[in-house]
Amino acid sequence: MKRIWQTIITLCLPLLLCGQVQAQHSGPYVGALFGGNALMNAKASDDQGDFILKFKPALQGSAVIGWDFAPGNPAGEGRVEFEYTRRSNPLDQVKLVEGSLKGSGTVTADSLLLNFFGVYHDNGRFSPYAGVGIGAARIETSDLQVAGYPMSSDSAVVFAYQVGCGVDVALTDYLNLDLGYRFFRSTRPTFSEVNGRTLDMDYSCHSAVLGLRLGF
Amino acid sequence: MDNLIRSCFILLLLLSGCGWDGTPTRHNDFVPLTSIKISAFYSTIAAQTSTRFTATGDYSGLYTRDITDQVVWSSDSTLVASFPYSTAPNKNQVVGGLAPGGIAIITAKVGSVSADFTLKVSSATITNPLTITPDAPSIAKGLSRQFLVSGTFSDATVQNLTEDVNWSSSATDVATVSDEVVSKGLVKALAVGKSTITATFKDASGSTPLTVTEPVLQSIELSPNNPSILTLSTKKITATGTYSDGSTPDISSQVTWGSSNPAIATIKVDGTVTILTQGTTTISATSPDGKISKSMTLKATGGNLTQFTVSPSIVTLVKDNTRRIIATGTFSNGSIRDITGAVQWTAANTSIASVTADGGNLVWLNALAVTPTTVITATSGTLIPSPATLTITAPQLLSIAIITASPELTAGTLTAGTSARFTATATFDDGTTQDVTALSVWTSKDATTATVGTSGLAAGRVTGVATGSTTVSATYTNNGKTVSVLGPNTVAVKSRSLQSLTISPATSSVIAGNQVTFTAMASYSDGTTKDVTEDAVWSIDNSNVAILADNLNQPGQVVAVDRGSTTITAIFEGKTQAATITVTGP
Repeated sequence: MKRIWQTIITLCLPLLLCGQVQAQHSGPYVGALFGGNALMNAKASDDQGDFILKFKPALQGSAVIGWDFAPGNPAGEGRVEFEYTRRSNPLDQVKLVEGSLKGSGTVTADSLLLNFFGVYHDNGRFSPYAGVGIGAARIETSDLQVAGYPMSSDSAVVFAYQVGCGVDVALTDYLNLDLGYRFFRSTRPTFSEVNGRTLDMDYSCHSAVLGLRLGF
Repeated sequence: MDNLIRSCFILLLLLSGCGWDGTPTRHNDFVPLTSIKISAFYSTIAAQTSTRFTATGDYSGLYTRDITDQVVWSSDSTLVASFPYSTAPNKNQVVGGLAPGGIAIITAKVGSVSADFTLKVSSATITNPLTITPDAPSIAKGLSRQFLVSGTFSDATVQNLTEDVNWSSSATDVATVSDEVVSKGLVKALAVGKSTITATFKDASGSTPLTVTEPVLQSIELSPNNPSILTLSTKKITATGTYSDGSTPDISSQVTWGSSNPAIATIKVDGTVTILTQGTTTISATSPDGKISKSMTLKATGGNLTQFTVSPSIVTLVKDNTRRIIATGTFSNGSIRDITGAVQWTAANTSIASVTADGGNLVWLNALAVTPTTVITATSGTLIPSPATLTITAPQLLSIAIITASPELTAGTLTAGTSARFTATATFDDGTTQDVTALSVWTSKDATTATVGTSGLAAGRVTGVATGSTTVSATYTNNGKTVSVLGPNTVAVKSRSLQSLTISPATSSVIAGNQVTFTAMASYSDGTTKDVTEDAVWSIDNSNVAILADNLNQPGQVVAVDRGSTTITAIFEGKTQAATITVTGP
């Protein structure tokens, strides 16, 4: 977590150098976001019952390509974008009836979402936004283990969605700094356990992201 | 845009903290089982007796777990000892063979992991008698109890033989004892009486007397539970006991009732609670032995009485006549309601005038003797408003007349199944007239066409029965003189086909303690309509929100009780209609 905050603070330093920017960009843009995410305690279920998977927070990275609508656009003020994100969280603990045991391995989610963000422009440098995204995610359990004993290595493609909000900071007429929050969730992916059973688990995470968008 | 951002923010707050923190139900079999430990209550048993084994699994040294039911049990010598039962809870029960003496290796196995236990079957023989516990017990009817038996063997060892003996009861109509494998020794008390429980093993036996006593109270339920009740009203709380035999009698008169705050509500020995002031109190019911109790919260609503009035305040009645008297209260929350039945009525001289409560908010003032003036006082706590002044005269009765404001009883026709009212008015020789409806004797010439009520508020109320016509008469006697009169015209009754029923208002919002009137209107196939408020059967879903003011005397009248919504329903001739009542504060 300490490294995540150091990264966020470093990325925010350029804000101190920014001057007043009034123009609103419209048109295509590309961007990249970087941040940290906390994958929430997941309820995992198989035909033997329910148990809990606890994960460590991890970094995540996103790439976006989209279109800024000009202020006054009849479609609304905001932007629409495709977002690819990769999150990979190490398994920390597994809690079963007998108690909690050390976990290992990772759960990785690669998602491709179509985001719709509404932006509130007041001619200032800071523009708050909020929106939703829907799409799909490929979630992979990589060598998940309980106390060193294998549990699952598999992948599944599921429906995914997110809600998010944040603040756009206009650094120049074409360059925006994006400071945001995302709540990402998917339908329950189904994985094979090493013992042949089928495992369902929750996947939802909170993310704080910082990124740059370059308009054309 | 502001709304969008605000909505998203709220949504995010709602979604945060969505991680699962439930209780796991899955055992850990990801970690491999590495060893099994077998334990047994006895390592040596006598022939034809049994013992049970327990298997504890060690999972890679990380944790242990009881896996008794998961393992496969086996014996290397089934002649010495065997596992005769394949299902839980007896699959871990090993039984010694017929032949005494010998050793059997008991094995518990899961997959490739197994453990052994050496069981010795001795040649010891049983000695008399067997010892049953509990000794000479008493069990309440309906309850069950596990009996155990132990035996002493010739080698001085003592062994639990509960699962090895044959159990029997001398009186199976009083108590049974199970001889089934899964429940050996379980006694069920069926009826009050006595029985002897016997356990037999080979040549040895033991027995103990059993007394089945009267069923005992297990729990108490109160009804209504956690009620809201208007101030100045009374309500019967019922305590229902659940006994060991499953019976659920009303024990309201047997329990000890209590109110934690008697200033808010008091409760009598029969469970009737009287609400004095607004607030909450805890009502409790405790069994006579003090072992079982139940409590609930009672909420007194509708404000505290600040003042009330009596109407009429000045009354003149002819001797032997009667009329209604009403008390109307004003409460601290601004509500106003009829409290006639809740106040204490007192006549200054009961040989001159009396007051008769007739249920609900119906109270009659009766003129007994001539007087220039007497007073009738109403009291509620320390509030005593101006009394009603009553003058009683004794003029000579001249005549009576039947009148009605109902068009159905005059020009029109009364629909079968509905009702309308006649009133009887007497004229006296001093020029006064008085309503004598309640004291008149009413008669319908053809009761198959229409009936007429004969007493109390029902007097003079004509109810159509079937198509036809009839005449209604009233007879009134006063001061030794009797006069009779026919109704103003023939009462025509017609059967109509009911099309619909409506309630008005369809919705109503009222503060707690106030009254609201609902009206039921019937529409018939011939286009006619009729107010059937008095003929419909009214009910309310949730008495904690609103109650019927007085179903007998004030049909359609509702008193709001406490915040919330409920439904009032009117049923008339198979048609049902509902309306919503919303009760607001304070």
